[in-house]
Amino acid sequence: MSADVKLESVWIRFGDFIAARDVNLHIKGGEFFTILGPSGCGKTTLLRAVSGFLTPSEGSVLIGGENMAGIGPNRRPTALIFQNLALFPLMTIWENITFSLEVKGVRKAQRKKRADELLELIALPGQGEKMVSELSGGQKQRVAIARALCAQPEVLLLDEPLSALDLKLRQHMRTELRSIQQRVGITFIYITHDQGEALTMSDHVAVMREGIIEQVSDGTTIYDEPDTAFVASFVGENNRFAGKVTNVTDSFAQVSTPEGLIRARCSKSPESKVKTGDDVYVFVRPESLRFVSGRLVDNQMKASVYHEEFEGNMWQVFLDISSTRKRVKMSYVNDGSIRSHSGEKDLPVGFSSEAAIVLPQGPLAAE
Amino acid sequence: MSFSNYWRAFFQKNGATLALFLIIAVGTWLFMMIILPQLFMLDFSIRANVPPPKFGTEEHYYTLEHYKYMIFGSALSTDSFNIIDVTVFFRTIGAAIFVTLIDVALCYPIAYYLAHSATGGWSRLMVLSLIVPFWINEILRAFAFKIIFGSTGVINNFLVSIGILDQPYDFIRNDIALWAGLSYAFILLMIFPIYNAIESLDKNQIEAARDLGAPWWKIHWRVVVPHAKPGISSGCTMVFMLTAGALAAPQILGGPSSLWFTQIIYQGFNQAGNWARGSAYAIILLVSCIVLVLVMMKIAKVKFGEMMK
Amino acid sequence: MIQGRIQNFLVIGFVALFFAYLFGPLIVMGLTAFNTSGFPRVSPWDCFTVEWFDVLMQDARLVTGVRNSLLIGIGVVLLAVPIGLAGALMLMQIGPRLRPWLYTVTISPILVPGVVLGISTLLFWDRIGLMFGAEEDSIFYDGIFLTIVGQATFISAYAMLIFIARLQRFDPALEEAALDLGASHTQTFRKILLPFLRPAIGSAAVLAFLASFENYNTTIFTIVSSSTLTTVLASKVRYGIDPSISALAVSIVFLTLVGAVIFEISKRRETRRARSQMAVARGEETKVRKQRPFLTEPAFIMFVLIVVAGLGTVYFSGTVGVEECKIAVKEQRQAEIKRKIERRQQQQMFQSAVDTQSQSSSDQEDSKVTAKGTEGYQSVFSPGNLQGEIETQAEEEQPVKGTEGYQSVFSPGNLVSPSSDEPEEEKPVKGTEGYQNVFAPENLSNQVPAENSGN
Repeated sequence: MSADVKLESVWIRFGDFIAARDVNLHIKGGEFFTILGPSGCGKTTLLRAVSGFLTPSEGSVLIGGENMAGIGPNRRPTALIFQNLALFPLMTIWENITFSLEVKGVRKAQRKKRADELLELIALPGQGEKMVSELSGGQKQRVAIARALCAQPEVLLLDEPLSALDLKLRQHMRTELRSIQQRVGITFIYITHDQGEALTMSDHVAVMREGIIEQVSDGTTIYDEPDTAFVASFVGENNRFAGKVTNVTDSFAQVSTPEGLIRARCSKSPESKVKTGDDVYVFVRPESLRFVSGRLVDNQMKASVYHEEFEGNMWQVFLDISSTRKRVKMSYVNDGSIRSHSGEKDLPVGFSSEAAIVLPQGPLAAE
Repeated sequence: MSFSNYWRAFFQKNGATLALFLIIAVGTWLFMMIILPQLFMLDFSIRANVPPPKFGTEEHYYTLEHYKYMIFGSALSTDSFNIIDVTVFFRTIGAAIFVTLIDVALCYPIAYYLAHSATGGWSRLMVLSLIVPFWINEILRAFAFKIIFGSTGVINNFLVSIGILDQPYDFIRNDIALWAGLSYAFILLMIFPIYNAIESLDKNQIEAARDLGAPWWKIHWRVVVPHAKPGISSGCTMVFMLTAGALAAPQILGGPSSLWFTQIIYQGFNQAGNWARGSAYAIILLVSCIVLVLVMMKIAKVKFGEMMK
Repeated sequence: MIQGRIQNFLVIGFVALFFAYLFGPLIVMGLTAFNTSGFPRVSPWDCFTVEWFDVLMQDARLVTGVRNSLLIGIGVVLLAVPIGLAGALMLMQIGPRLRPWLYTVTISPILVPGVVLGISTLLFWDRIGLMFGAEEDSIFYDGIFLTIVGQATFISAYAMLIFIARLQRFDPALEEAALDLGASHTQTFRKILLPFLRPAIGSAAVLAFLASFENYNTTIFTIVSSSTLTTVLASKVRYGIDPSISALAVSIVFLTLVGAVIFEISKRRETRRARSQMAVARGEETKVRKQRPFLTEPAFIMFVLIVVAGLGTVYFSGTVGVEECKIAVKEQRQAEIKRKIERRQQQQMFQSAVDTQSQSSSDQEDSKVTAKGTEGYQSVFSPGNLQGEIETQAEEEQPVKGTEGYQSVFSPGNLVSPSSDEPEEEKPVKGTEGYQNVFAPENLSNQVPAENSGN
């Protein structure tokens, strides 16, 4: 029922513009795979190459081990959910859902039966006769999924399908999508620029920048062990310190920055190894920064609070590092014991070297 | 992308059946209906006038005699120029320009009113009633004008009865009926391009100009007209071309002494039986209209692309 | 404030004048169809009649023309709509460098004078026929075929513009979605694009038919020896006019309005259907099917009743009592003519004392010469011979039905005369082509004092 998808050295060019450079991906059958990247990074292009709407300039796409070259979108075992859903406005809901059966010549009674089953699955029982325009955004979303599933694809491709929904619905649909995927057990390839969606739903995430796959890993690894400066700056929030490596041990490096010497963990990726004298970035997550009260941490500096946001469960504190006026962000959980630090000057802040990571300098995500 | 790749992509995108249909339909239209007939007509116009059985024989030689005839007249005539045809030609072009100007003057205020002053149902009704008269046959419209401009027509009766005229005025002989009828014939083609152009103008621009103290004529001249220029040009082009090429209205409304150039072409075909000369005259009409429109567009600094959106 | 009001007044006045220009001629023409007068006019109003519609029905040439026009219209729809659709689809996907060229060439037939299109079509197929050695009665020389092709040349461009406008609102993702769900290209076209284009196909077909039906400039060349409604009409209008042409115009306007109303009702039904679907979620299928067939729709029945009643009334009042009315009008006219002759004789006697007879007779001579040979259109500015004209008319008193022209005799002297209630004098005359106007302007200045002194 579910097939694996392989992209082998795929290049896609539009004139001089390169939308995909030497992309190699192996997506296992039955997994929820997300391609995450900023808009314009080429992720939709990649998806269109998988669904068959465009032919790679070089390289090949394999689905279930079969090379898809020369096979049109209507003969691939994939189904695509479009960004704008592309529900047929002139058909009723049930006609939309069973369109794939209609073109195969399945009889109407049988189609209606199948439509009822799928409407049950997406929790819209008895709504088959409505027109598309009569549905809410979330309902349309589910109809689009049902329509795609009705074609019994081995791979379901989703092109930012949640981007048009409001925040609450989006969060609800995340869990719903994930549970549908687990129920039907087919391969999902999901495209998004929203890291929250990527991290919550996926078995594996590929981070993409300008046609290049920067890292493929599960969500926690992407977040905790970014391979490149781009991934570190794109996924989640990060404070960044630029500097030069002065000393490297097997898994830690000493970096000289304008804010002082910082000791931080090295990346495990072989491509991101650093040596003495390299220009590097040190990334520290806001939640890894702490006010230091007595007990010592590896990296310590003085900073003043210039702005503070209270979010109920979290405090977001914006700091000025005293020596260089560099601005950093700190966040911590409101456990009831902490008071406001608003306006306080030259407080000692710090982070452990385990919580900071050293990466070679490279392109960063746009702020 | 090379040519063969292009076609492969075209077939891939449309599927064989549809791609074939598109190519055949568009190909037939382009070549069998537009381009080749025009080329054949051009070819015909630069050959001697012989009956069909002699087509392609030596007697069907290439010559410019029909174009020469338009300017210099027959070799037998004593005049150095073909005064009748040349006069009719320039009068037709001149009258077409005049009719175009009348239509701009009539339609600009109406289009502006429709786009910016009329509201809701009223403007929908106006648009509808603009369209309705044009469902009616061109000839019947000309006929209607013949009725009201006749010497006992409504207009003469009215003018005489209120004492403006002491005797009926011969509107037909003086070409007034013809101008009125021609202005009427293509008025819709002037209103809608201007209307579309003006409608897309942000009302705030007018408000801003008024706020800055511009008098109403300056607002139109500096703000509305420049914005509507593409629409005005496309309206003028269509009205001019169609008026210069009109046949029905001049035949019906033209006075006994005023000929329209298309009537001469028509006579060439139907009465004189000289198809070659008729074709040459048709080419002259077509080319001079196109040249005139292009020159006017150059002067008005309008590009074809923005005009034909 | 006041200036604003004046401005408003001017604007509304202009708009009103504009629409008067738009509708005035059509309304006047419509009214002339119901006047018994042999020349289409509204004033003076003789008798209300529908006899011109009978005249219309008996015109065999016109009936043939209408039949050919219908045939050509259908042919043009069948040819121009698919071509326009193909052109629009092609334009949508052709490369950006070729697009402006294709667009310019395909749109050019709209601007090319219809005369040129007609000639080039005629010549082209003539040559093609010659190349294949086709017979004289083959399709290449067939007026109907040539006219269909010639008209479709530019009507396809109209259709294309309609399709382009519609296609610009089409979401190409819908096509991709259908392909992605396994539909073939043909299925995608049939199930997704065509239903989306259906309204555009409808309007393109209607427009193509109407454009074909009313085309003259191209048709006059391509129709060869056949005839269409427009060519028959044109020759009728050029060589003498009578109110049966107005009657035809009224019929066409009427049919158009009926079409518009039916279109409107069917559109209403469509929106109502959509609304009821929105309201009822379940068991919709049965609901939709229960909707009344079009012919029993209350609005439609009302419309038919009104139309039938209206037509009946018009027909009844247009046929009953027409002859009596005509006789009455005729008698009235004769009485007036007699009165005028008497008055004229009095004036004549008075005038001969003031005017010199020789001057007026030379005027008459001149104007007669110029009037001769100008399409049977005579205006004689002859004050002196007025009396004579009236006398000859009075002798041939019998007005003849269906006469092509008539005479109107203007005697401005009567305009200011307090005793006359009818300034104009006219009467159909047997056998005159065109019509004659006889004015006597010079009399005016002389006559005023004469009348005054006479009273």
